[in-house]
Amino acid sequence: MKTPAAIEVRGVWKRFILRHNRVETLKDRVLATFDPRRRERREWFWALQDVSLEVRQGETLGLIGPNGSGKSTLLRLIARTLFPTRGEIAVRGRVSPMLEVGVGFHLELTGQENVYLNGSLLGLPRREIERLYPSIVAFAELEDFIDVPVKNYSSGMQARLGFAVAAHLNPDVLVIDEGLSVGDEAFQRKCQERMAAFRAEGKTIMFVSHNLRAVSALCDRVCLLVRGRVVAVGPPPEVIPRYEALSAAVRSGVADRILGPELGPRRRRLARERQGDPAARTP
Amino acid sequence: MLPDLWRYRDLVAGLVATELKVKYRGSALGFLWSLLSPLALIVIYTVAFRYIARIQIDRFSLFLVSGILPWAFFASSATSSTQSLMVNASLLKKVYFPRAIVPASTVLFQFVQLVLALTVFLPFVFAIRGGVPWSMALYPAVLTLQVVFVLGVALALSVLTVAFRDLRHLTEVGLTMLFWLTPIVYPLSMVPDALRPLFALNPMTAFVSAYQDIAYWGRAPAAGGFAAMAAWAATSLAAGWLVFRWRAPSLVEDL
Ligand SMILES: Nc1ncnc2c1ncn2[C@@H]1O[C@H](COP(=O)(O)OP(=O)(O)OP(=O)(O)O)[C@@H](O)[C@H]1O
Ligand SMILES: [Mg+2]
Repeated sequence: MKTPAAIEVRGVWKRFILRHNRVETLKDRVLATFDPRRRERREWFWALQDVSLEVRQGETLGLIGPNGSGKSTLLRLIARTLFPTRGEIAVRGRVSPMLEVGVGFHLELTGQENVYLNGSLLGLPRREIERLYPSIVAFAELEDFIDVPVKNYSSGMQARLGFAVAAHLNPDVLVIDEGLSVGDEAFQRKCQERMAAFRAEGKTIMFVSHNLRAVSALCDRVCLLVRGRVVAVGPPPEVIPRYEALSAAVRSGVADRILGPELGPRRRRLARERQGDPAARTP
Repeated sequence: MLPDLWRYRDLVAGLVATELKVKYRGSALGFLWSLLSPLALIVIYTVAFRYIARIQIDRFSLFLVSGILPWAFFASSATSSTQSLMVNASLLKKVYFPRAIVPASTVLFQFVQLVLALTVFLPFVFAIRGGVPWSMALYPAVLTLQVVFVLGVALALSVLTVAFRDLRHLTEVGLTMLFWLTPIVYPLSMVPDALRPLFALNPMTAFVSAYQDIAYWGRAPAAGGFAAMAAWAATSLAAGWLVFRWRAPSLVEDL
């Protein structure tokens, strides 16, 4: 019997507007009306193109792909901090995201204060956070630093606290973006054990990493994302070699022949024409 | 938005506490510092306007207190709301929660400071004045209208500053000018007729005059005053909410 989907991504497109020469102040905005050179140039950039993906309940899905391929963007959409331009995303249960190292902490607050703030951010009642607090600190092994402002933590320490919080606040869906790469060997082990335990409890995990060994050890399925498109989804032994082959092609400079141009001159010109930029007419 | 505020009340409390900790970290008497700046203003303006410019008004410092505390609430809410989303960028990028909670918490933090200042200063006013005027019963109504008004301003300023970072400085300059165009250190009756229309366009005139009526003159504000305050509050909240809703979805992309 097929278990129900915990995360459903249906035909999702995400467009960012790249703002070259970005106008960030009212002053520049006013000056730009007199001086066209000061005007910002906007360009569309499709970070995700027609992505469809289903993560079943209790499944661990790894997301791999080159830098800038849209992995973090997809996780942010799932965590609902970004909205899709087109398409739909449905998530069943409470998501506990760990997006990028250290993000989500208020640097001026101490570790303890951040644990509480993060708990309420995820909608946990205070009493529940109080109950979980000791296990979070113990897991992060930060007893001696918990009263120190997070700005004085090393990046590995921030990652420890971040993972400990994300993993202990009883999520139904755990979303992790590269969280572990800055942790030391022992902590990475510990996190992988924790994720394995999660998996055994039947929770859903979506996990981005460039550590292919960890991905193949932890994941039921792997999704390869390249230039915003899903290139392959399947068991690790099938998908990871494709990624490795792709990386080899990139190194020898033939990737464009396989993948087509990323944001080639033609697409760039078309995008500009859509924005009504006169520079678009000169090729 | 109100149901959201209630559902996320732990988060609102957490954000208010965060602002408190970040602002007054390391000073045990934390909140007392927030009383120092109105106190300093009251002393300085009393010297300048009562004894140097010789504004003819009985018990000048009582008059000053009744207008300057609500003004300070408005001004600090406006200033700190311009920074509120930037300061909390790392939280906004991490988890979804209703974005309006951030500027609303900023206003709430300033409101707590106002209430504290009022509980310290108002008893002095009444002691010197010799008794609490009956019109104080209207205080909560005026305060509520002002909070709504300030919330609208904070919603708009918070998202607009993400798009235009210099709005913060413009806000500060604008507030300085507005302060002198609001009857706080002088009574509205001293304003020449030619300038009256200008004052009628300033929302803070309506609020400050109402506070002075209630706490200093001991009389009910004119009915027109209440109508003006209600109109300003409704307009501000509606406009602020529309601006906020328009910018909120793409907010994180620009932070
Ligand atoms: N706020 C933004 N505005 C404009 N472009 C953005 C924004 N956020 C991401 N992008 C673009 O979207 C693309 C995908 O970025 P994303 O962070 O998802 O990549 P990634 O797969 O996580 O890469 P990495 O392996 O380096 O973490 C990048 O080209 C990036 O420049
Ligand atoms: Mg990334």
